[in-house]
Amino acid sequence: MKKTLAALLLVSLGAVLAGCGKKEEPAPQAAAPAPAAVAKVVIGLDDNFPPMGFRDEKNEIVGFDIDMAREAARRMGAEVEFKPIDWSAKEAELSGKRVDALWNGLTITEERKQNIAFTAPYMENHQIIVVPADAAIKAKADLAGKVVGAQEGSSAVDAVKKDEAVFKSFKEFKTFGDNITALMDLSAGRLNAVVVDEVVGRYLVSKKPGEYAVLDENFGTEEYGVGVRKDDTEMLAKLNKALDGMKQDGTAGQISTKWFGKNIVK
Amino acid sequence: MDYIVSILGPLAQGATVTLRLFAITLALAVPLGLALALARVSKSVALSQAVNGYIWLMRGTPLMLQMLFIYFALPFVPVVGVRLPDFPAAIVAFALNYAAYFAEIFRAGIQSIDRGQYEAAKVLGMTYGQTMRRIVLPQMVRRILPPMSNETITLVKDTSLIYVLALNDLLRAARGIVQRDFSTTPFIVAAAFYLVMTLVLTWGFQRLEKRYAKYGD
Repeated sequence: MKKTLAALLLVSLGAVLAGCGKKEEPAPQAAAPAPAAVAKVVIGLDDNFPPMGFRDEKNEIVGFDIDMAREAARRMGAEVEFKPIDWSAKEAELSGKRVDALWNGLTITEERKQNIAFTAPYMENHQIIVVPADAAIKAKADLAGKVVGAQEGSSAVDAVKKDEAVFKSFKEFKTFGDNITALMDLSAGRLNAVVVDEVVGRYLVSKKPGEYAVLDENFGTEEYGVGVRKDDTEMLAKLNKALDGMKQDGTAGQISTKWFGKNIVK
Repeated sequence: MDYIVSILGPLAQGATVTLRLFAITLALAVPLGLALALARVSKSVALSQAVNGYIWLMRGTPLMLQMLFIYFALPFVPVVGVRLPDFPAAIVAFALNYAAYFAEIFRAGIQSIDRGQYEAAKVLGMTYGQTMRRIVLPQMVRRILPPMSNETITLVKDTSLIYVLALNDLLRAARGIVQRDFSTTPFIVAAAFYLVMTLVLTWGFQRLEKRYAKYGD
């Protein structure tokens, strides 16, 4: 697909683009596999994903995953850079070497494992179902014939589709650019329910007390991990070591308590 | 009110990204567009057709697709494959795209000048270049100001497309705050930012039109 597109546009663009060629950066080839320390880690994240990664009043990127990544980088003796990316393009950002790691509530799924190497999980997450507080929906079975929404490219979509019987009972399944637009559509009455990562969902629901309810049932348990390129085994080993150390000595627990009020790191 | 003041900082930072993209695009696309327009009206059929094809390509595909292509697909293209960082990639896409639209506006302006003026200039012994520079282009400017003002104002708002490269422009910054605070107020404040920008542009173009009115028929 990419190649066809490339060839098509290339024919006409050739001349112009050749001119741009001069701007080419020295292609950062896979860092020399020497045992030297990783100098700099570029972390790709969705900076609109509170409380894992978002911008505070000063426009600085903050969040649970940000603190975790900073601490891990410190232990790896590496500099850390946070690069906001469009979450639906995360695989392309990673394989294109624009970022070295995806660290932002990234759910470990079988499908993603084909393109991404994951560290050991560091947190458990559920795909919760959010409905309007006054809705008659009390369980998954009540979603039959209803319009349900989720964030495009998020693991909520995968989790919902995996529950085939329930998924097929929906009237419609709509995906949105982000979770907040899905929740706004829920408030506007065009959606009957939104499926969202628990950590983010509970954060957003708490912003509008009394407006939403979270069902007891959910679309399954999943785990968050840090994603790196499959051939970047050095990075994977170092991240695993750093994460492990953070869990062992309680640092990860402290960061969790700071953001969630309790230790939910596993 | 306090809330609005608290979000002004991040939105102003977003606005600088928007304005930077806008200004650099304009600075690159106007000269490039003029060069394309001159090539398009040149006597060389090959050159004219090549530019015609370029304009077709640039106007015929979405700007967002072009931006995604330059950012994600270009690094994998053999020979010319370059890996531009996000902001330069956006600049290249915007400049190449807007140059195509500007080129057509300039061409319309150039071709609106009566043939008799070319003949008159020839009689006076002017070369083609001199005729363009001294006679045609100054008159063209007056005629293209209204459509240029249209296109320029569109550019201000098109900059919001760079959210696909996760660049934190005005609209994306507003969306980020909406995500964080679950309040739609940032959208209204962002709208005010855009309105101020386009107000300044509208005013600027109106002044330019008055200034160039003296070249009227």
